[in-house]
Amino acid sequence: MSELLSRDDFRTALENAIKGKSANKSPFSLAWAGGTLSREQLARWAENHYHYVGPFADYLAYVYARMPAQHVEAKDFLLANMYEEEIGGDRHTDLLIRFAEACGTSRERVTDEDNMSPTTRALQAWCYAVAMREDPVVAVAGLVVGLESQVPSIYRKQTPTLREKYGFTDEEVEFFDLHIVSDEIHGERGYQIVLELADTPELQARCLKICEVGAQMRLLYTTALYNDYVAVQAEAEEAVAA
Amino acid sequence: MPQVVFHKNGQTFIEQVKDNTNLVVRAGIRQFPFPHLRYQCGMGKCATCACEVLAGAADLPPPNWKERKQLGDRIDAGWRLACQLWLDHDIELRQDDPACT
Repeated sequence: MSELLSRDDFRTALENAIKGKSANKSPFSLAWAGGTLSREQLARWAENHYHYVGPFADYLAYVYARMPAQHVEAKDFLLANMYEEEIGGDRHTDLLIRFAEACGTSRERVTDEDNMSPTTRALQAWCYAVAMREDPVVAVAGLVVGLESQVPSIYRKQTPTLREKYGFTDEEVEFFDLHIVSDEIHGERGYQIVLELADTPELQARCLKICEVGAQMRLLYTTALYNDYVAVQAEAEEAVAA
Repeated sequence: MPQVVFHKNGQTFIEQVKDNTNLVVRAGIRQFPFPHLRYQCGMGKCATCACEVLAGAADLPPPNWKERKQLGDRIDAGWRLACQLWLDHDIELRQDDPACT
């Protein structure tokens, strides 16, 4: 990419970079939306998801510290995002644990790092690496635009299913409800920052690449959840039946 | 596209928004009704975004469990939480600052 893209073209390119590998298409997301997961499988999801989203404020804190002081808007956004994740209302991870407990697991199991899959550990490590090592604008593109902005479209599909097909109460699925509002704000503000601050062809290209990789990482994570907890169980049941 | 009429401390602000719009999301991304709409948690827990619905209430879905919990009797007086509303119809709202009420 040798020329600077216009804001509109850059935005479209970012959206396309994410769309190609959207986690909406993963087998786990499809099984979730189809109402075919057991509560036990949802519990395993929660135990893994905690270790991916739980440190989100930590990831952003590294980006905040490395964002140049003159980018006041971007720094304020990162700070507000961290605040909202942790202490703006209920702590988001506490709502995730509430859902996990409704699925039959416990706070202790959720917070125990030994209960995440190797792929979840890889996704968490990738998020830390991006936050610590990438240009802060590229990090916002990867973590906020590439990952966080995907969440509303995923949860908008998943939340009605949790109530209607799985029978969870409103309070048990509050974790998903709140993300539809807060992540819409965070995702869109992330776009605004990246569109504003990625002001060279090289930076734009790196932002596009990291969005693509971020979406791949999330797809890898959800695909591994399917392989580790759904496909394995189905194979075991088939073996018993045979 | 829904038209939003927003009254704040004696002033009126009017703008059309896209279908299925949440006003707290709009304010969060620095678009109308920013900077006039007061909000905080965005998750129905603090009631900072509570507004009095002056017109268009009939087109809204019934208050959800968070609104019932936060607003109590104020629901009967036409109050709703803006963070819990996704708008598809015209609406007129008022949210005055406490010092102005």
